[in-house]
Amino acid sequence: MKTARYPTYLILLGVLASLPLYTGVYLLNVMDIILIYMALALSWDMLLRSSQISFGMAGLFGVGGYTAALLHVHAGITPLISIAAGGLAAGLMAWGIGMAVLQLRGMYFAIVTLALAEIFRVVVRNLPDLTGGPEGTVLPSAIFAGNSTRTYWLVLGVAALSFAVSEIFRRTRIHFALTSIRNDEIVARSSGIDVFKYLVFLFAVTSAVQGLAGAAYAHIYAFVSPEGSFSVDFTLLPIAMALLGGMHSTWGPVVGAVLLGAISEFLKLHIPYGHLLVYGLIIVFAILFFPQGIVGTLGKKRSGGAETETSGTPEPAP
Amino acid sequence: MGVGANSSRNRCMIAAAVAAVIMLLGFWKPHVLIEGVQRACLYAVIALPMALILGIVGIINLAHGEYMMLGAYFAYFLNVYFGIDPLAAIVPALAAFFIVGVVSYRIIIKHVLGAPELNQLLLTFGLAMVLEHTANLLWTSRPVKLPLQYVSSSATIGSVTFGTYEFIYVASAVVVLVCLQWFLKKTATGQAALAVGQNPRGAKLVGIHVDRTYLIIFSLSIALVGSIGAIFMTRHSIFPLVGAPFTMKSFCLIAMAGIGNLMGIVWCSLILGLAENFLLSFRGYAGWADILFFALIVGVIMVRSRQRQVK
Repeated sequence: MKTARYPTYLILLGVLASLPLYTGVYLLNVMDIILIYMALALSWDMLLRSSQISFGMAGLFGVGGYTAALLHVHAGITPLISIAAGGLAAGLMAWGIGMAVLQLRGMYFAIVTLALAEIFRVVVRNLPDLTGGPEGTVLPSAIFAGNSTRTYWLVLGVAALSFAVSEIFRRTRIHFALTSIRNDEIVARSSGIDVFKYLVFLFAVTSAVQGLAGAAYAHIYAFVSPEGSFSVDFTLLPIAMALLGGMHSTWGPVVGAVLLGAISEFLKLHIPYGHLLVYGLIIVFAILFFPQGIVGTLGKKRSGGAETETSGTPEPAP
Repeated sequence: MGVGANSSRNRCMIAAAVAAVIMLLGFWKPHVLIEGVQRACLYAVIALPMALILGIVGIINLAHGEYMMLGAYFAYFLNVYFGIDPLAAIVPALAAFFIVGVVSYRIIIKHVLGAPELNQLLLTFGLAMVLEHTANLLWTSRPVKLPLQYVSSSATIGSVTFGTYEFIYVASAVVVLVCLQWFLKKTATGQAALAVGQNPRGAKLVGIHVDRTYLIIFSLSIALVGSIGAIFMTRHSIFPLVGAPFTMKSFCLIAMAGIGNLMGIVWCSLILGLAENFLLSFRGYAGWADILFFALIVGVIMVRSRQRQVK
């Protein structure tokens, strides 16, 4: 089974990459959104595997977007390189924040990240010469001149990258380090794992993925603004996706992203002002009644085998 | 770390430094001092109920500010439909939000009491989103404000003119703090709550009804923060997102003061309130005041983690 995995992934990637051959522009645009959210959900889940919660996706997403857009507009750097720079900037930012605050974890870290989107929004609003202030910055043109096929491939690349990072974290020794940190930090430390270093590294890597997604998003829509780029959507949706699909696995966030991404298109049309309510409800219900998520529940039913070990959440103790 | 003498000397020095800064500020920018104290008391009175939940029930309630927002809308609609003055609406708000607290506790919070911190954070975050966007759906994101005459009263001392109505925050902070201290120290329920906060299992062993204590404390906190919403909306315009920053600022204050230190929250809110108003008083830098609490929270975490390492 283990040897068959990589060809399967490659075939899947090939099928997805050939999608533009037989679908229309609308479906590709929907796929773009789904894949962006998939990258966010995966990166959020990666950090969650060490039992740290980040509510800062929107912040780092926006940092990536702004970095890419401003580098392109002010320094004339080509879009693709500026997207990479956006990811790098978000990663560096997260590294700095992680170095400062990850010694105290749990709720302290969660609240610091919860404030990130708001903080970056304030910063962007207060530097109008650089960022365009509250009105935002418009890019000269969308990436690839708005060619939907190439745009789709770009987003697919970002999503595939985050999938690959997630799988690497699942299959290598990093996985054991993270799982042991999650289960018992003291045991992890006494077996020689430098918890702080691992968490800072993990926070930086996942944030870089989020920054990449944000940078790609900024170039696709050719626009960054304090309200749009740091929108709570980019925190709320990925969390709901990962929880619905199932925490602590690669496939959970993927399944959740596809499901909720498709549903969100429908919801946006029918309840334009309240569709975020649905995601809040999904989070509450998932935590209360469905902590394993779709993938976790199916995996348990199917075999109760190797997969469930990583997807299980600790049951609420009485 | 030499705890006893060293820390009390440190504390004296900090108090002296704060007093000196306040004196200087009073001479240089009396506006900043007065409005800063008013703002600080608003922060303190919102943070106190959150500290109560965190200290005793042990749950960080990320939906805290949203309950305040709901309280504000509650008072607003009481005024619009029944003509009740928002300040008179404090009493019905206390009752209504006590019930809201009971319902929230029974349906939602109770189920994650023993769960990992991660589930609690996610749950209250989801709850915050639900409340925020329900409000958005029902009442739209348009800010609303009541035209009240008495809120713009002012007084002049020497050359300084300032709003006097905002001293209601100072009064409410004092009332809430004194009542909470009295409740926790003098009543049987309050003492039971303190015991549960220190050690739930021990409290259970000596016959304290832990679940009921949690219920009372959680509902009491929600009642308090809901009624504070009624006071808040007399002076500020309200919209569904109005509460969210207060959740983070409240946590910032609790982290600074240390969990369980109610009096410390007042001092820390003075630091935050004065610093924010100080920045607000400079033209061109006012926009940066909103990131002060973040700088404080990061600073506090860095200091705390270094202290822990030294130990």
